[in-house]
Amino acid sequence: MTLVQTNPIITDDEPPVSLWRDAWHRLKRNKLAIFGLCVIVVLAFAAVFGPYLTPFDFLSQDLDARNQAPSLLHLFGTDDLGRDVFSRVVYGTRTAFLVAVVVTAIALAIGTTLGAIAGFFGDPYDRVIMWLTDMTMSVPNLLLVVVINASLKNPIAKWMEAQYMATLNPFYRETIWIDFFLVFGSMALISWPPYARLVRAQVLSIRSRPYITAAMALGLPNRIIMMRYVVPNALGPLIVSVSAGLGTAMVLESAFSFLGVGVNPPTPSWGNMISDGLRVWQHYPHLLAAPAFVLGLASVAFSFLGDGLNDALNPRGSK
Amino acid sequence: MTAQNKQERLLDVKGLTVEIDGRRGPAVVVDGIDLYVGKGETLGVVGESGCGKSLTMLSLMRLLPNKIKVTKGTAEFNGRDLQTMSNRELRKVRGGDIGFVFQDPMTSLNPVMKVGDQLCEPLIYHRKMSKADARKRAVELLRLVGIPGPEERLDAYPHELSGGMRQRVMIAIGLACDPKLLIADEPTTALDVTIQAQIVDLVKDLRNKLGMSVVWITHDLALIAGLADRVVVLYAGTVVEDAPVDDLYANPSHPYTRGLLASIPTLSDAPAARLSSIGGTPPEPGRRPAGCPFAPRCPLAMDICLREVPKLEPISSEGRHRAACFAVNTALKAA
Repeated sequence: MTLVQTNPIITDDEPPVSLWRDAWHRLKRNKLAIFGLCVIVVLAFAAVFGPYLTPFDFLSQDLDARNQAPSLLHLFGTDDLGRDVFSRVVYGTRTAFLVAVVVTAIALAIGTTLGAIAGFFGDPYDRVIMWLTDMTMSVPNLLLVVVINASLKNPIAKWMEAQYMATLNPFYRETIWIDFFLVFGSMALISWPPYARLVRAQVLSIRSRPYITAAMALGLPNRIIMMRYVVPNALGPLIVSVSAGLGTAMVLESAFSFLGVGVNPPTPSWGNMISDGLRVWQHYPHLLAAPAFVLGLASVAFSFLGDGLNDALNPRGSK
Repeated sequence: MTAQNKQERLLDVKGLTVEIDGRRGPAVVVDGIDLYVGKGETLGVVGESGCGKSLTMLSLMRLLPNKIKVTKGTAEFNGRDLQTMSNRELRKVRGGDIGFVFQDPMTSLNPVMKVGDQLCEPLIYHRKMSKADARKRAVELLRLVGIPGPEERLDAYPHELSGGMRQRVMIAIGLACDPKLLIADEPTTALDVTIQAQIVDLVKDLRNKLGMSVVWITHDLALIAGLADRVVVLYAGTVVEDAPVDDLYANPSHPYTRGLLASIPTLSDAPAARLSSIGGTPPEPGRRPAGCPFAPRCPLAMDICLREVPKLEPISSEGRHRAACFAVNTALKAA
């Protein structure tokens, strides 16, 4: 090589860090986002390990200790059956996280796939997928959940019963899975369109960037270009939207449970606890306050984190 | 170069026409271009901005954006038409047989992928290499293009490298699978002059080492002088002159080429002398004049130039110097 050797120049305006580490630095400076992140971490910990750590079982009743005010023994008091509200709120966290994570994951998978296909391949896929998206968005979500509950709940319960009779597998006696299945399914069905639209818009803008043409000039198959060139570059806004989506899914689950079309008692969900507490709140406000406060906290935490991520992942927006 | 012989043509483009679907109907941007590249030859493609240089090269590889389409013509590579081959075959040619180096090193690399991974991608896909082998080859390639400390550079992200480094990485990616043809689309435009000279030297060096053909697109006539074997001058989507490089500089024939050469400043110019320029602007696509597209700006324009389109005809050098100009050709016939 007879070339003039140049120094390994690193541009001095950007520190040598990756996009993600850069974003993390910016996120750390945002106090609200870090507060949100801490709350989410605590709640997630409670969701995973909480039910093993609480002093009381969320189902065990103590009829001698009904409707007690908060105390050191019962942090959030007890309900009308003498169950420990703190343990039930902790278990409700598990319900909320389970629903939020599974629903968001399904919605994300459907939305990202459809959005990426629509944006990358264009018409006619684009047209058909966007029709589908608009159609889905036009369905009132509460109505859909009610319809699904009314039409599918009994058949599934019967099928589970038949499976239990045939196999004697105790899994099929857990009617709670019917609730979860219906909630997951119906919520995922209505939650994917925003992801599909977001991903499509991202892909449309990314598709015209020079590095995509460069990747095509390398003869890489569309699958690889999509997975390694398009999707990673579309990830920033998607992460923000997922963070907000998790919060929304939690609130939605509570709303459905509150209305009796979500997770049903005795399985605790913040929504059905609020619904129970609402009947007696003049006498026992803690029964309403505890789940409502935690739900509010979770929702706010996800909003703050989403906002923080939005600023952190979008360098143009930061000062 | 004896690239006259048909068998030795690696790339042979005939009558390539590209149109943009505009609001006011289709506009022709590349108008029936004929050009060829011999094996081992370096072809310079010269013309001002917007004359269709890049579009021609993108259209060869069917990389045109939506709404821009090839409407006529063939582009044979090794005897097979790139315009009609299946997508699967085309993918093998792209990156495998034909390497591409793009204009803007700042935006032509994937910002969220390490350069090493981007370099390995074509090797894994075209050469079916294992990840480990591809990495070894990637180190070799980075060394080949003169990047110091290639092992560490593999794990760098594009934004951690300077413009010149990124352009070298682009060239390394273009060269990854030992292409028979390297198409470089203004690869030095975004770089400063010293880096430019290094990149030109590098490509010359690699061409001699690897024996590949090169198409170098540029608007810089001075740059191409030391690099190309043959130069094609484009104007408004047509070839106006095609000549061996020495011939072109010694004996520019088309008035447009002469204008271009005259507007290069030289050190021997009087300090106060005005830089000569070509009056007017190239025609907009869709508003091309009926005759020769250069006629409205041409000092030698005659009546026929406004009515008919001149054909590319041999003028000297055993037919290897060709120009599309009525004035030049009639003068030649009269002589």
